[in-house]
Amino acid sequence: MKSSLMRISWMTRLTFLEAIRQRFFAFLILLSAALVLSSVSFRFLDFGHGELKFVCDFGFGGMFLFGSVLAVVMSAQLFFAEIDNRTALTLLAKPVSRTEFIIGKFVGVWLVLGVFIFTLSTLLGIILWARCQELTVTAVEAGKAPPELSVAGLYAYTGMQWARLGVVAAMILMVASLARTFLFAVIIGSMLVVAGQLQWLAQEALLKPGELNSFSKFILSISTYIIPNLQQFNIGDALTLDHGSVADGAVSLSLFSGACYIVVFLFIASLIFRQREI
Amino acid sequence: MNSGPAITVKGLTKDFRVGLRGLKLRAVDQVSFEIPRGEVFGLLGPNGCGKSTTLKIILGLVSPTAGEVSILGFPFATTSARSRTGFLPEAPYFHKFLTGRELVAYCARLSGVKPESVDQAVEEALTLAAMTEAGDRTIGTYSKGMLQRIGLAQAIVHDPELVILDEPTAGVDPVGSATIGQMIKAMKSKGKTIVLCSHLLGQVEQVCDRIAIMDRGKLVLEGRVEDVLTRRDQHVITVENLSPAARRAAEEVLAQQGARVTSLTHPRRSLDELFRELVTGSRDA
Repeated sequence: MKSSLMRISWMTRLTFLEAIRQRFFAFLILLSAALVLSSVSFRFLDFGHGELKFVCDFGFGGMFLFGSVLAVVMSAQLFFAEIDNRTALTLLAKPVSRTEFIIGKFVGVWLVLGVFIFTLSTLLGIILWARCQELTVTAVEAGKAPPELSVAGLYAYTGMQWARLGVVAAMILMVASLARTFLFAVIIGSMLVVAGQLQWLAQEALLKPGELNSFSKFILSISTYIIPNLQQFNIGDALTLDHGSVADGAVSLSLFSGACYIVVFLFIASLIFRQREI
Repeated sequence: MNSGPAITVKGLTKDFRVGLRGLKLRAVDQVSFEIPRGEVFGLLGPNGCGKSTTLKIILGLVSPTAGEVSILGFPFATTSARSRTGFLPEAPYFHKFLTGRELVAYCARLSGVKPESVDQAVEEALTLAAMTEAGDRTIGTYSKGMLQRIGLAQAIVHDPELVILDEPTAGVDPVGSATIGQMIKAMKSKGKTIVLCSHLLGQVEQVCDRIAIMDRGKLVLEGRVEDVLTRRDQHVITVENLSPAARRAAEEVLAQQGARVTSLTHPRRSLDELFRELVTGSRDA
């Protein structure tokens, strides 16, 4: 068990090193940082208290969009790089099991996604905090209630997004273990991510009795189990600006659900990958 | 320690499905052989004859369609068997951003070398591979010969019982090939079992104890190098001070002509000759 964990940790380190050196990662983190920094310009639009929510939504939107792109492309790319460049031959000829290989890849990618998301949220946090200070002074001078900002809430949201990206990365690795080409994995993976974002629609439709026939109900029910509801992780502005509006246990439940999906996706990925001929 | 064969292959068959219709392509066809421990075994054959597929099946990288494989006493290439096996793939490709030393250390750790022994194991492997000086350069800057040598270092860093080398001299110049040949001899002297896949027949002839030749997925010959290259039905007389008259007079009159017979041996054909004869012969059939 210990040696297996050691091998996973070494696989993780190599994956992390490989990922963090990629130009694509550098490009996306710079683009996202530029997007978050550009929200400073909103102060000139005079939103008042609503400005913080706007900045929040803008920053979270960037993290969400580019984080998803990074999770999809990087998971598939790092997997296929090992197969296509035949470095996997060298690694899998060592006493490394296919499951350890998949888990090592996943953790490595997830750590890189963590670097991405926590860097951006720190940047966003600095911008929000600085603007909140200015708006507080203005509000006090005007005799109004100062705006609320929860740094803990911001990081709670970041953690939620990291969990969401973990689910996406595990899902993509599952698709990649089955796919023959990088492009196929990215296209199918992207479609699954979009389906995951829209999965709440299926859940809502199922709650309305009489509107669906039994076949549609069956398909939707199956899809709600197979495809994770990625929308459940998007409670950023509620956590950051209005913590009270988040239901008790919602964060824990979402994280638990995300962890379950990650375990199941990685389990399926390793089962498929065991059959794959390198 | 298990004293059985290092590798046993029985009735190994591998079919690949190709194309949309899933046509069956037989890459390995009913191949059987045994490799005793401590021997250097040459697996030869033309490109596409199934050598690499056979090696990949032995290592558990590809699953067989039929047949049995046992490696170091284990029924299949389990992680336990792989921890005692080193493998240099054909045209090896490694992560270019690592230095040679980092790669070998990484492979040592993956192979279960104890943390306190990693540095020493890396130095020994780099020394054997003649890569000590270039060890701190990134792999992206290596020549083809250096890539093969660092590949060999990563294969032997954990001191495996069995080393599998898939075309270690491919694309390497004669000097580099000779260096790799010396490394194989050094490993042989340490009692390692070595499986060598190579097109460099002269080198195979020099370093291998036994060979097997594959063609179109089938094993067409297997045996000790001495046995398969020696023509038992013919003899060679080596003579000294042979004059033109003695040459004409033949064996009965050699003594009368003043020539002295110094040895009587079986004539040998070269491995290259045997290989071409077997492979071309089966293609003509």
